[in-house]
Amino acid sequence: MSAAQAPPSPPVLAPPAVTDEDAARSLDRSRVHRARLGGRRWSLMWLLVGPGILAMLGENDGPSMIAYAADGAQYGLGFFVPFIPLLFAMAYVCQEMCMRIGAVTHRGYGELVLQRYGSVWGWFAAGDLTLTNLVTLVAEFVSIRVGLAYFHLGSVVAVALGLVLVVFTFSGGRYWRWERIVLGMALFNGLFLVAAILVKPHVGAIASSLDFSPFPGGSFNTLLLLLASTIGATVTPWMIFFQQGASADKGMTPRDIGHGRYDTAVGAVLAAIFGVGALIAGAALLTHGGAGIQGFAGAGFPEALRHVAGNAAGVVFALGLIEAGAVAILTISASTAYAAAECVGAVHSFNTSPRQAGLFYAANFGIALVAAIVILIPGAPLLSIALNANVLATVLLPVSLVFMLMLANDRGLMGAWANRRSTNVIAVAVVSFVGLCGAAYGIDSFLLAVHVGG
Amino acid sequence: MAPPQTRAAKTRRSAAVAADPVGVDFPVHPEAAAEEELIMHLEPDQFVAETSRAVPRARLRGGAVFALWALRVFVVVVSAMVIYTFVEQLH
Repeated sequence: MSAAQAPPSPPVLAPPAVTDEDAARSLDRSRVHRARLGGRRWSLMWLLVGPGILAMLGENDGPSMIAYAADGAQYGLGFFVPFIPLLFAMAYVCQEMCMRIGAVTHRGYGELVLQRYGSVWGWFAAGDLTLTNLVTLVAEFVSIRVGLAYFHLGSVVAVALGLVLVVFTFSGGRYWRWERIVLGMALFNGLFLVAAILVKPHVGAIASSLDFSPFPGGSFNTLLLLLASTIGATVTPWMIFFQQGASADKGMTPRDIGHGRYDTAVGAVLAAIFGVGALIAGAALLTHGGAGIQGFAGAGFPEALRHVAGNAAGVVFALGLIEAGAVAILTISASTAYAAAECVGAVHSFNTSPRQAGLFYAANFGIALVAAIVILIPGAPLLSIALNANVLATVLLPVSLVFMLMLANDRGLMGAWANRRSTNVIAVAVVSFVGLCGAAYGIDSFLLAVHVGG
Repeated sequence: MAPPQTRAAKTRRSAAVAADPVGVDFPVHPEAAAEEELIMHLEPDQFVAETSRAVPRARLRGGAVFALWALRVFVVVVSAMVIYTFVEQLH
């Protein structure tokens, strides 16, 4: 019987093209639906937190914590105790936009910039990110090495630890699993708060520093370096790529934006508290005037703290540095992987296996591997790299922030979820402040270097 | 040797059994029912097939394009200054 003579068959719905990535994400979403339908608020919160806390605590990385401790050791508590929370409030403004864009568009930052504003801008943003991430990852391995040096362990152990962690988190082919492992590790960022308690600070001195005084002294260039490195320790390009990519990978939707805001706010509050903890621990070394601590050399701060506040404070600070470096290696590598795979249009999700998303996993491991190799090169200028990582990130940050602002205002993409006027006023102020600080430092340092060199 | 089953295929099979346990005539293809069960928690624009489709290019005004280029040039120049300073510091 020919096809033309066959009796009409009942309509059959063609199955949509469903990938493993869809299946895994749908499984996670089904738990969110059940929690929402059952009115289980805390369960829903538990299911939806992740990208915001990881971005914020990931940015409390080794170099950042050493920068905060160095600020405390050199200038004391004044100015920085209120300044660090203020910076995390600025970070919240930026990261909330990333989360919202990811939840509404279900796409990463890199692919949206590339598709919406052209490949030149997209690749430029990815290039910015790769450069700053590589430099920052080197600094993360250095901070792990500083922490391990306290326990008389060397660079090879630091490299092995970082790379093994990256590979370990790949197992399972699920975003949920990756997120929960890194989240569990990130909570140990609280070790810096423990270190602050162990140095027995004067509560009165902390309270009296909340009025931004005394303002740090020194030359104009020193002040700019301080501002640029502290801002670079709080708001960075990788956070933008990471939180937007992770929000999309997690499967967040516009209905989850409220919880995404809680997630980001909790992350900002925790990061500010732990950052101030590192500052307070560092301030115990104020009598040293910051001299001779050599934050990135030898056992640096942990060893100095041991002399001032005892072995427990040194051990806790050293473990904190190892944790901060390790978590940052995982999140920063992930942001590089999202950016690289998004820009070439390859699969970019932890809800896939390494076989299905080769480029994504290769970029993730590859950048960590390159940074690890740099650490092992004898005579590499690791100290200068680590010190300048935050500054470079600050200088390159305005580009990422401007495009993020444009995406968040793009009504064609965001619809009703586009930025309000009040959000724009704050966001423009944040972008301008960060941009001005970074540019002023870059220009001032350059003029100083040319003058000295000449 | 049979090819290894993907996670999506395994979930499809178990969902198909659940959707049509006694094999009664079913107007919707069992595979489609399984897919429905599998993906019902995703929004339509959340599927990989959908997110793989490029979003249309934004139309920027001349002023915006000029401002973006100015920003790029500015950042490249300032970055070069920072890198030069970094290299000078090494010496």
